[in-house]
Amino acid sequence: MELTITELSKSYPNGVQALDHVSLRIGRGMYGLLGPNGAGKSTLMRILATLLEPDSGQARLGDTDMLREKDSVRRLLGYLPQDFGVYPKVSAQEMLDHLALLKGITRTTERKQVVEALLERVNLQDQRKKALAGFSGGMRQRFGIAQALIGDPKLIIVDEPTAGLDPGERNRFYNLLSEIGENVIVILSTHIVEDVKELCPNMAILHQGRLRYAGPTADGIASIQGRIWQRSIDKGLVNDYEQRHRVISSKLIAGRPLIHVYSDTDPGDGFTAVEPDLEDLFFSTIHGVREC
Amino acid sequence: MLTRILAFELKFWLRGWMVWIFLFVIAAMLFGAATSDNVRVGGALENTNRNAPFVILNYYSMICIITLLMTTAFINGAATRDSHHRTHEIIFSTPLRKWDYLVGRFSGATLVSLLPPAGVTTGMLAGFAAPWLDASRWGPVYWGAHVAGFLLFAVPNTIFSGAVMFAVASLTRSTVASFLGALLLLVAYEVSGAFTNKLETESIAAMLDPFGIQAFTLMTKYWTVAEKNTLAAEASALLLWNRLLWTSAGLAVFLLTGWRFRTQERSGRRKKFFIETIKAPSKAVALPEVKRSFTSAARWSQFRGLLKTEVRGVIRTTSFLVLLAAALLNTIPSLIFNASEGYGVSTFPVTYQVLSILRGNLYVFLVVIVTYFAGVLVWRERDARCDEIHDALPVPAWLYYAAKLCALAAVIAAIQMVAIASGIGVQLYKDYSRIQLDLYAKELLLADYAAFFYLAVLAFFIHCVSPNKYLGYFGYVSFLLLNFFLWIPLDVETRMVKFASLPNYTLSDFYGYAPFLGGLLWFGLYWGGVSVLLALATVVFWPRGQGQGVRHALHEARLRFRGRLAAGAAFVSVAWLPIAGWVFYNTKVENRLITRDQGEQLQADYEKQYKKYEGLLQPRVAAVKYGIALYPERRAFTIRGEEVLENRGSAPIPQLHFSLQRLYDYEIDLPGARLIHNDTRLLYRIYELASPLPPGARMNLRYKVGYEARGFENDVSLIQVVQNGTFFNVRVVPQLGYQPDSELTDRGDRRKLGLPWRPPMPYLLGRCIAACGNSYLSNHSDLVSVDTVVSTSADQIAIAPGSLLREWNQDGRRYFHYKLDRDSLNFYSFISADYAVARQNWNGVKLEVYYHPEHKWNVDKMLNGMARTLDYCTRNFSPYHHRQARILEFPRHSTFAQAYPGTMPYSEAIGFIANLEDPEDIDHVFYITAHEVAHQWWAYQVIGARMEGATLLSETMAQYTALMVMERQYGRDMMRKFLAYEMDKYLSSRGQEKFNEQPLQKVHSEQGYVHYRKGSVVMYYLKEMIGEEAVNRALARFLARFAHKGPPYPTSNHLLDELRAETPRHLPYLIRDLFEEITLFANRAIEAKARKLASGKYEVTLDLESKKLKADPNGNEREVALNDWIEIGAFAKPAEGKKYGRTLYRQRILMNQNRSRHTFLVDREPDQAGIDPFALLIDRVPKDNLKKVELVQ
Repeated sequence: MELTITELSKSYPNGVQALDHVSLRIGRGMYGLLGPNGAGKSTLMRILATLLEPDSGQARLGDTDMLREKDSVRRLLGYLPQDFGVYPKVSAQEMLDHLALLKGITRTTERKQVVEALLERVNLQDQRKKALAGFSGGMRQRFGIAQALIGDPKLIIVDEPTAGLDPGERNRFYNLLSEIGENVIVILSTHIVEDVKELCPNMAILHQGRLRYAGPTADGIASIQGRIWQRSIDKGLVNDYEQRHRVISSKLIAGRPLIHVYSDTDPGDGFTAVEPDLEDLFFSTIHGVREC
Repeated sequence: MLTRILAFELKFWLRGWMVWIFLFVIAAMLFGAATSDNVRVGGALENTNRNAPFVILNYYSMICIITLLMTTAFINGAATRDSHHRTHEIIFSTPLRKWDYLVGRFSGATLVSLLPPAGVTTGMLAGFAAPWLDASRWGPVYWGAHVAGFLLFAVPNTIFSGAVMFAVASLTRSTVASFLGALLLLVAYEVSGAFTNKLETESIAAMLDPFGIQAFTLMTKYWTVAEKNTLAAEASALLLWNRLLWTSAGLAVFLLTGWRFRTQERSGRRKKFFIETIKAPSKAVALPEVKRSFTSAARWSQFRGLLKTEVRGVIRTTSFLVLLAAALLNTIPSLIFNASEGYGVSTFPVTYQVLSILRGNLYVFLVVIVTYFAGVLVWRERDARCDEIHDALPVPAWLYYAAKLCALAAVIAAIQMVAIASGIGVQLYKDYSRIQLDLYAKELLLADYAAFFYLAVLAFFIHCVSPNKYLGYFGYVSFLLLNFFLWIPLDVETRMVKFASLPNYTLSDFYGYAPFLGGLLWFGLYWGGVSVLLALATVVFWPRGQGQGVRHALHEARLRFRGRLAAGAAFVSVAWLPIAGWVFYNTKVENRLITRDQGEQLQADYEKQYKKYEGLLQPRVAAVKYGIALYPERRAFTIRGEEVLENRGSAPIPQLHFSLQRLYDYEIDLPGARLIHNDTRLLYRIYELASPLPPGARMNLRYKVGYEARGFENDVSLIQVVQNGTFFNVRVVPQLGYQPDSELTDRGDRRKLGLPWRPPMPYLLGRCIAACGNSYLSNHSDLVSVDTVVSTSADQIAIAPGSLLREWNQDGRRYFHYKLDRDSLNFYSFISADYAVARQNWNGVKLEVYYHPEHKWNVDKMLNGMARTLDYCTRNFSPYHHRQARILEFPRHSTFAQAYPGTMPYSEAIGFIANLEDPEDIDHVFYITAHEVAHQWWAYQVIGARMEGATLLSETMAQYTALMVMERQYGRDMMRKFLAYEMDKYLSSRGQEKFNEQPLQKVHSEQGYVHYRKGSVVMYYLKEMIGEEAVNRALARFLARFAHKGPPYPTSNHLLDELRAETPRHLPYLIRDLFEEITLFANRAIEAKARKLASGKYEVTLDLESKKLKADPNGNEREVALNDWIEIGAFAKPAEGKKYGRTLYRQRILMNQNRSRHTFLVDREPDQAGIDPFALLIDRVPKDNLKKVELVQ
């Protein structure tokens, strides 16, 4: 099964163009949707999760028109929203059981097994009786993935799942996702490059509502091979360099800015070539210096 | 430090919006209450200025109930802010003194809490700016009343309730607990209210009420219109003591709180957070294969799962528990203490009464619960921010909706069940065993339940289309208010537009629901259909996903509105339209709906057009024969009447005029006469006779009056004709001539419709002859003979005036032939019901009580009452002229007892259900019976002319007779008790007078508090002063002169002449003071001392004060010179369990000084002594007449 998005557009009443004629094809496996905050990722995710109506365009999941046959989509869907809350005074187990029922697992014994397995899977078996409201961010996020996994979904959408997680939690989360992402479509939206780098063989970069890159992650990186240069400079000179070069990123290494520039040829000026990584691809894409 | 905490507290609240919103709400309420009749806070206003000082004080006292919850919000905020925001560790780690902290917080929050009550003043002052202001009802601004109201009520109540809440909140640190505390205070107020039923316990009520409302009510109970309009800063000692008591109680509670308060952290109150210990990385456990199912069976189990969650989501909330507790606390005490018949007598807790108490106390909370939780349920996922998870689940919108709606419905049902259980519990507790489970079920689980369900559906719909929760609440509440208040000013009364409105109905043990059933069912179906359509619309628009306005909603709706949903909607619409059509046809076509405005317009037009015929010479009715067929099962009757008319005037009569009534079909048969005017709108007909009826000549009039209930109505308009318990009076037949009784009486309505001012009754004219041509009951008949054949269904007994001559069955119907034994006034009723009959013989007169078989409690008392009254009246006044005296029970749609010749119908709600088991209680049933039987003399032997004072001759005399009969039966002490209630009712009704308070001589027929209540007091006093024999001699003479005579009818002056003739010369002022003027006394015992003499006797010395006052019609009083014979006396200590002690001394003394000292001897040790010891004179403070005797050496 393949997810096909054609010319999807969406603008908000305040004038923001959240999606601007976005077309994508997403197959099985983990698919990363990368973009800075406000790029339109969540908008796209919500449209795919049947929660939002686009202004125009198409979205199909196999033969299913996702925009009209919402109930069919929902039967295949596992969705972890970017931010979600829980009912007060309800335990993880109760809530999962309730959601499993709503996902159509009507036999009590089956439901029990599924919930047990999921709790184990996300490592919450010891907290199963505790109120969700008291969960830490990471626990809550794992509960979130558990509920998304109920009922063997064919399309899993996780929106910014690692925001706010500490590194240990994030790692655990990656493991979880990668385990499930082999046979179904998993769309992971994030603004954190690491997430995609570690998990997604295929990806897209979204910026200001426009699709800037879509394809295998490796291909993207290959496309900027030999075009990224770096140098460590004095703090006061960042502006100066930005005027002379196409600076795509600048980060502090031991207190000194290390800048990356994009250039088809050696820019001289003390720059050395570096092996590009996903971050370079991301920054060069959103800064519009890389030709799409 | 203290001042800084205080300043912080004040700033904190004053910068927020809450206090200003509260202030605005109170001001808006008061503005509405002060300027419009549609908004009411506290009692009605009547003649009193809308901004009278009394009104202001009253508002200030009542508003505390509402501001209580606001105070709770502030105080609770101040007390728990630190622990809620977890800042207490910071605050209490500073070098802060505990008392500074507590006093600062408490006084700050209390000061802020005083702002909303000040909205009373703001709102009242803003009232002056209302463009629709009726300036004639507004007096000057009494600043004193505003200040007094604030100081007497707002300040002490805020301090007391604030202190209690501060204690609860700071000791428990729980918001719920403080709101519960507030509600408990309300219960204290409610419970204290129960003590106001009996006069003896009124002062207890006044002290017990922590808000001072009962004390204020007691203080102002006897205020006249004039006093209400002018007394600004009055406070009785009782009120001041109450205020002092509760303010100090508040301060004491606060000190106690401070003493118990600890600044250290209390353990165990913090939210639990978990520390996770990771044992192992997550295992790649294989998820079991499961079967997912989306069949209808699956939907059903999902529905049950959702329902369970949603119900839990409601009942586990603290707000639900608080509301439920409040509802029960409000309801159960009322169930236990309520149900009063008057005179301190309570009724048996019959089921319909329990139901009405449940409704009155519980339903406010149910409406709040529906309103609040509809919002909570609709917005539950979004409030918990898990809506995105839920919205992406493969569960259709309708399933969520159905589960949430059913959850609310289940909660309501559970509350109704609790209500039923408490109702039955109270009935059993009161040893009442006739529990009508079916009635409980029909009322609470069907009729009312449907109404709540419709409201819930509406609330869900509004929330569903509302962009946020608060707008949803606002929209729903606005809709309810508009639905409630909008239609009245628009003069729209059809229930087809007022959402969820069902016809009014009154249950009765006679007919159950029968006459109302059609309307209830069809309107129920009609609104049920609307609700189903609304529910379908809710499903279509049920918010799902991230709503992006109307376009998105419509797009979604288009997607959802197809398939079975669309088919369902089409089906319901198709099914509903004929229902709507049928309702419309029945209520608007088959039956006419006349709104209040239209009705008033008709009345006004009738007067404008036909008043010119008032006084036109018409023949008088001399004899009537009726053939009446009642069809109870169809709610129909036919009356064939044959009247003999006689020209008793001095000129020939060329035309006959008839006033008819709506609802009935008339056929008038006057051989040879021509119908020359037929006003079918105002129902006035004029017939031109073939030849004028000469003076002294007679003629025959035949007519037929028909009624048949057709289908169902917007509201049942003729509840007098029912399946069981038909009861209507003779006024349904064509009335000869113009009928002034049909005129509008309300001053405002008359002004609005361009009618001139009209005195409530024609003025009393001396000892008139010409103007006394009509009695106050009829303007076309005097004494008539009546002969009736009445038939009804086989299972009922029909009753008409007179003796039963024959009874037979024919064609499955029962026939009765009645004939009056002696000509009587042309005013009587016809009755038919399935009765049980109790009979007794009294000197050849048949005494009968026709009653509902379930209501046999007081029937014997009624028979006894009839016999005793007949004894008294025949011995003292004149013979009884009928061969029967009957009491008939009729359904409780009206609550009165009335007398007709030989028959006395009582409402089901009067007397029949009174609980008279306590021998110390006043026998209310005996009293009513004596009064109604006395009317056989005082109305049906002699009746007053149609002018002021007429009811002195009937009502006051019936009251006097009843008092004498009761005194004989129950003794003097019972009369003291009874008269105390009469005095109380008279004095407390004066302030609600709509016109002028009239003296008895000129009393208007609707001034019951004068002709009954004051009448009792005055006649008893007269009897004490001149003796029972003298009064009865005068009355017997009066009867002999006027009884059974036609016009001219006597006036009050004729009666007073007779009474004056019996009054001894040393009491020249008596008749004038009692009957011709409004006279009050302010009598007081200042000191009472007694000394034991060597002889064993006691010498009593009394210091007394006495003032005599005359009041004008508005209640303005002026003192007049005293030269009256007033009693002094002394009592022994009452025996155990008795209210009054033995009379040791009573002596009448001529008092002409305000202050006087008296000395007398008594045989035994006196307990109390004083002036007017039996409280026979009208005195606003009868309590201080007596003083505890102080024994001196």
